[in-house]
Amino acid sequence: MKKIIFFFEVHQPRRIRPYRRYEIGKAHEYFWHDKNKEILSRIISKSYIPMTKFLIENNFPCSISISGILLEQLIELNSPILDLFKDYFKSGLGELVGETYYHSLASIWDDEEFSNQIKFQEETLIKIFGIKPVTFRNTELIYSDHISEVVKKLGYKNILAEGTDEVISKYNPNYKYTSVSNLNLFLRNYRLSDDISFRFSNTTWNEYPLFADKYAKWIHLTPGEVINLFMDYETFGEHQWKETGIFEFMKHLPKELRKYGIELSTINSFAESSGSKGQISIQKIISWADTERDLSAWLGNDLQKEAFEFMRSLKGNKNMHVWRSLQTSDHFYYMSTKHFSDQEVHEYFNPYKSPYLAFIYYTNILEDFQRTYC
Amino acid sequence: MKKIAVLGWELPPIFTGGLGIHTLNLYQRLAKFYDIDLYLPYFERVHINYPFNLKFIDFRGKFSYSYESSRDFYDIVRAYNEALVEKFDMNNVGLIHAHDWITFIAASRIKQKYHIPLVITFHSTEYDRSGNFYPQKRIIEIEQIGIDSADTIITVSNYTKCILLKNYKCAKDNIVTIYNGVELELFYVTNKDYNLKNQIIYFGRLTPQKGPKFFIEAAIKVLNQNEKVKFILAGRGEEMDKLKSIATEYLNKNIFFEGFVSLKRAKELYAKSDAFVLPAVSEPFGITVLEAMVAGTPIIASKNTGVAEALKNILISDFWDTDLIAEYIISLLKYKALRKQLGEQGKFEAMKFNWDRTALNTLEVYKRYL
Repeated sequence: MKKIIFFFEVHQPRRIRPYRRYEIGKAHEYFWHDKNKEILSRIISKSYIPMTKFLIENNFPCSISISGILLEQLIELNSPILDLFKDYFKSGLGELVGETYYHSLASIWDDEEFSNQIKFQEETLIKIFGIKPVTFRNTELIYSDHISEVVKKLGYKNILAEGTDEVISKYNPNYKYTSVSNLNLFLRNYRLSDDISFRFSNTTWNEYPLFADKYAKWIHLTPGEVINLFMDYETFGEHQWKETGIFEFMKHLPKELRKYGIELSTINSFAESSGSKGQISIQKIISWADTERDLSAWLGNDLQKEAFEFMRSLKGNKNMHVWRSLQTSDHFYYMSTKHFSDQEVHEYFNPYKSPYLAFIYYTNILEDFQRTYC
Repeated sequence: MKKIAVLGWELPPIFTGGLGIHTLNLYQRLAKFYDIDLYLPYFERVHINYPFNLKFIDFRGKFSYSYESSRDFYDIVRAYNEALVEKFDMNNVGLIHAHDWITFIAASRIKQKYHIPLVITFHSTEYDRSGNFYPQKRIIEIEQIGIDSADTIITVSNYTKCILLKNYKCAKDNIVTIYNGVELELFYVTNKDYNLKNQIIYFGRLTPQKGPKFFIEAAIKVLNQNEKVKFILAGRGEEMDKLKSIATEYLNKNIFFEGFVSLKRAKELYAKSDAFVLPAVSEPFGITVLEAMVAGTPIIASKNTGVAEALKNILISDFWDTDLIAEYIISLLKYKALRKQLGEQGKFEAMKFNWDRTALNTLEVYKRYL
C-alpha cells in the first residue's frame, strides 16, 4: 500500500546585526536580537503554533527536524511553541529527525566538525524531548555518498536527499533506496513537494486552486511506494498564508488519500516496514536549494567563498559556540548575487537587502572574532 | 511631418556636464525618426556632421559668456532667451522640447505665441546646483514658469521628481522619469583585474553639489589607519583651493588633484582604482557612476544620487556620513572578493542603461503630441 511522508524542516538562524568597522575590538555581541525576535515572533504566531496545533488536533503523522540554533532562541523567548512540540512528540505520531545543531555547511569541509555538531544536536534533542533521532537530514538536504558515510558512523539508520533531475532520470524517487553507506535513503519528490510549498497560492499556475481531492488523485496516479514531501515548516502560515486555505488543504488531505487507500507515515516507520529498491551512489554534492540543486546558493560567488574561507581559518578558537553560530548556512545565503528567479527568493529572505552589506557585516564580525578569541 | 524644436545650451565637444552628453546622444538617435531643429548659443568650434539641424543664436553683441563664471550668468541666460524668441523659426514645428531653466523663459514665451505643445526636461534643479545652500529665488521662479507652461515634464530620476514635487507647484501625473544612458563603447573595460591598487577616485566638478569635501574627509579617515592609499580627485571647479586646504598634510602625498582629465585618462583612472566614490549632496542622475561601473569599478555613492535609486550592485551612504564611506573604502581595500563581485555585477547592471532606451522612452513622450 502506498504511503506519503511529510517531512518538515524547522529552522531560523541567529542573524548577525549590521556590525560596523568602528566596533571591531570593542563590541563582541554579534547577533541581531531585536530583528531575530521580531521575525521569530511573527513566524511562531503565524506558522509554528497554528501548524503544530493542527498536527496535534488532526493526529497528523510526520517527521520533523528542529535546528539547535532555533531551539536556543525558542527557549530564550520562552515561547509556548516548545511545549506544543513536546506534546506532539509525546503523542508518538511524530518522528524527530537529526541534523547539525547550527544548520551549518560543516558536512562539506570537516568531518570532525560535522560530527561534533550532529552529536551536539542529539544531546540537545535528548535533553529537551527525551528523543534520540534515527533519521538524519543535513542542512538544506546537502548530500553525497561521503556525507552519508559520516552519518552512518554516528549510528543513524535513515537519511534524506533531494531527488534532483539527474538522480530521478535514473531512479524513481518514490521508493526507499539504500545509500552506499547502507543507510535507508529517501529522495524528495520535488515536483509534488513544490506544488504545496511554492505553487499552492500562485494564481497564475494552471492548476490553481489546488484542492485536496485533486492532489490526492495526483498522488494516487504517481507510480511508486512512497511519496516524499519535504518542505520548510514555515510553508504553513508564513510562506503560504492562512488565507490561502493551506490549513484546510492539509486537513482534508488524509481523508482524500484514504479514498485511494493511501496512508500518511513517518520516515522511520516506513523504513522499518518496507524493502529497498536498490543502492544509489551520489558522489557529487547535491542539495534542495535554488534551481541548481547544488552548493551555489551558499558558495556560488566570490563573496561567499572568501567569507567562508575566512570563517574556516578561525578553527581552534576560544569561543566555539559563537564561531559555530557564525557557520549557519543562512549567513552565506544572504551574500548570494544570483540573477533571475532565484534572486527574488534570496532577496525575500535577506534582512540586509544587499549581499554586499551581508558580506561586510559578516567579515567585520570575523575580524573582531579573530582579535578577541583567536 | 511636423518638426521638433529643441531648445538647448551645450553640445559636445563644447560642454561641461550631463546636459551636453544627453543632448548629443538623444538627438543623434531621435533624428532617425524626426526632423529636428536644435537651438544653441553660438559656438566657435563645432562638428559639422550632426544628423540634426543646428540653429545658432548669436547674442555676442551684448555679452561674452562662460558657463563657469556665474556672476553674469543670469544676464547671459536672459539675453540668450530673448534672442531665441526673436529668432525662433516656427515653420512646421509640432513640438518644443526645452532643457533646463536656461531655456525655459524662451520655451514659455514661444509656446504662448504659437500654441505649440511643450515638453521640458530637468537635468537638475536650482536646489541641486546650489547644494541646498542659498538657492537663487529668481532661478527657481524661472523653473516654475517652465513647469507651468509644460505639457509634460521629464526628470532624469525619481529623486529629481521628488524634488520637483516637494519644492515647486506641479502635478505628479505630468512628470515622467527617463534615465540617462552610458556610452558603453567609450568606457567598457574587459577583464579588469581586481588585484589591490590602493587607489580611490573621485571624478566630477569640484563644487559643493558633488560633495568632494566629503570625499576628502573620508580619505583622511582612511589615511589615519592606512597610509598606503592614494586618493585622486579628477575634475576642476571653484572649490579647488578650499579643498586643497582641507587635505592638509596628505596633499600631494596621498591626496592628489588631477584637474581636468581627458577621456583616455578617465578610463585609465577607472581601471586603476579600487573604488569610485561620489558623495554628492544632490546629484539628479550621475552619469559618471555608470561610466565607472561599465569600466568595472566598484561604486560608493550617496543616497542623494539619482541613478543610485535604480542600482543594486553599489554601496550607498549618506553624503555626510564619512565614517561609513571610510569603512566601505577599507572593506573594499581589504577584500578582493568584494571588489570583484561589486565590479563585475555592477558592470553587468550598468550596461542596461543605454541611450537607445532613453531615446525610446523620450519617443513615447513625443508621440503624445505628434
